[in-house]
Amino acid sequence: MVVLRAGLCPGLTEDMIQLLRASGIRTVVDFVSSDLEDVAQKCSLSYKALVAVRRVLLAQFSAFPANGADLYEELKSSTAILPTGSPSLDQLLDSGLYTGEVTELMGAPGSGKTQVCLGIAASVSLGLKQHVVFLDSTAGFTASRLYQMLQAQTEDEEEQARQVLGRLRLCFVLQLEALQRIQVVRVFSIYELLSALQELRDRLSQQVVSSVGPLKVVVLDSVSAVIYPLLGGRQSEGLALMMQLSRELKTLAREFSLAVVVTNQVTRDSSTGPLKPALGRSWSFVPSTRVLLESREATWDKATTRRVASLAKSPRQPTGIQVELDIG
Amino acid sequence: MQREVGTLPLAPALRARLAAAGFQTAQELLDTGPCGLSKEIGISREEALEALQVVRQECHGDAARTAGESGATRRCTALELLEEEQTQGFIITFCSALDNILGGGVQLTKITEICGAPGVGKTQLCMQLAVDVQIPECFGGVAGEAVFIDTEGSFMVDRVVDIAAACVQHCHLIAEAQQEQDHWEALETFSLENILSHIYYFRCRDYIELLAQVYLLPEFLSEHSKVRLVVIDGIAFPFRHDFEDLSLRTRLLNGLAQQLIIVANDHKAAVVLTNQMTTRIGQSQSMLIPALGESWGHAATVRLIFHWDNSQRLATLYKSPSQKESTIAYHITSHGFRDVQPPAVTHSAEGTELNPRKRPRTEEEEK
Repeated sequence: MVVLRAGLCPGLTEDMIQLLRASGIRTVVDFVSSDLEDVAQKCSLSYKALVAVRRVLLAQFSAFPANGADLYEELKSSTAILPTGSPSLDQLLDSGLYTGEVTELMGAPGSGKTQVCLGIAASVSLGLKQHVVFLDSTAGFTASRLYQMLQAQTEDEEEQARQVLGRLRLCFVLQLEALQRIQVVRVFSIYELLSALQELRDRLSQQVVSSVGPLKVVVLDSVSAVIYPLLGGRQSEGLALMMQLSRELKTLAREFSLAVVVTNQVTRDSSTGPLKPALGRSWSFVPSTRVLLESREATWDKATTRRVASLAKSPRQPTGIQVELDIG
Repeated sequence: MQREVGTLPLAPALRARLAAAGFQTAQELLDTGPCGLSKEIGISREEALEALQVVRQECHGDAARTAGESGATRRCTALELLEEEQTQGFIITFCSALDNILGGGVQLTKITEICGAPGVGKTQLCMQLAVDVQIPECFGGVAGEAVFIDTEGSFMVDRVVDIAAACVQHCHLIAEAQQEQDHWEALETFSLENILSHIYYFRCRDYIELLAQVYLLPEFLSEHSKVRLVVIDGIAFPFRHDFEDLSLRTRLLNGLAQQLIIVANDHKAAVVLTNQMTTRIGQSQSMLIPALGESWGHAATVRLIFHWDNSQRLATLYKSPSQKESTIAYHITSHGFRDVQPPAVTHSAEGTELNPRKRPRTEEEEK
């Protein structure tokens, strides 16, 4: 609902706006939806000028329809599938994280969500040599653990580096470069998060290549930590901010072909009810894929815990598939 | 700036009016100016001016950050974080098994939660940490001060005196064994009176006082910049009784957790919380789980659960971003928190250099 202002389009002058406002037309929507002959009579403006203005406003503010074939071609050329660093998780996600979509990982505390996020950052940065932005709202990001994961992954790739002299130094240099490609932003409140996302969008659209580079993944750990303090009670402000956040994340994913990964908590309805994802039904429409992480005690050996990931929502695979994860 | 009006930190009523009037981006607000704004929405000139101040601040912050200045954001690469982490110290607990499973001790800039049944040793560990944070750097400590927020009234000064005396004696013995100059200099300031005077004690009687104290912490910490540990002994107690509205409790606890994370991060302090246990009754058995609900479990970065096993005290690491889950046993002696058996005596000469706070144990001290 944009307010009509002088200079919005070539034919719109200040006096026209005053006349329109006098007859109750203040925003673009009012203008476009009103009967122009009527308006021309009431405000004594030229009908042709009004039609010209309407055409320009429609061109500026309406969305363009596209047909399915064009959309398919566009998606084929711009979507990438990124490996998550864990083959079983890739299998669950139909070969990896899809760019242009929001994927959600949910689980109880200690189930391994931050570990999976670190694994994704390590695999994308080391294997694909792409940049990663990690938005951390729980202070759970431990760089030494990330370094451990990078070391484990470079050992796998050692085969390729076998011919190169100074193999150890090469591995070390690869790890350092991988660490430099991961940018960590600490955001501890919803407004900080929104302004960090806005800043990321500005940088990407201005294509300041040096700082961000070819960005492919944005990880947000966790979204419920910043939204929970606002939900509930009698105000609906929390819900509005949550929807704003979801819009920002989806626009980022779609416009710049990024894969957005989000982590979420689980809650119970009552003390004995089943576990369900936090943030309610409104948030459940935002991610297109949802994975539930659980850690189950293996009954024969109390020392090891099995970590199981199950697919709760997916546009491509049947839900209910379960795989075992190995968090090194 | 293309910031949407909905994402700016303005009051909800003001935001609703702006949306009704048709403003969408921050740029439109700034273009209109205070007089135009107050006329359009029907608010006073002063309110319009204030709102525009907030908008301008946000947009200038964004612009500065986009242009590449570091500003006040907490943005850095993983490599810089790794270097920071490697130079950061840990707060040791004097129980080497516990330090090992924690990866060196209680980490700074993270929230550690200790859950346990009554009498298992949570407050003892908190008092031990309040003394250990003050160990000088040459002995392997972080040389900081401590803030102790007590909600249950279980802080006993006589016990802290015992623990501090044992710690000072331990450091004296190390200094005698290693005979280095800076050790003796550090010991001059590491005395019982000094230790006690650097523990700042607050007593909060209900949840409102606790919330107020936590929200006032940043100011206190900016005056006392050497504080490296904040202990809240009994975060469950004020929230468990007399609370009818559970959703309000969840909201308050989550807001509290975020505030504590900000404090831990900005002032490079470790935050330690103690929690109580509650019973969950399942289909066939009942088990003890940490109190305050499911969502509180996400607030702490590191979670330790203390429990009994036939008169042996055990500590389990349940949640940590960098260490595996494991269980160890510990003891509480008159000197404080200690291991169950003394660690193996190292006969090689390098043993003393590797670990400045350990000294070779002699026979008469083993208990």
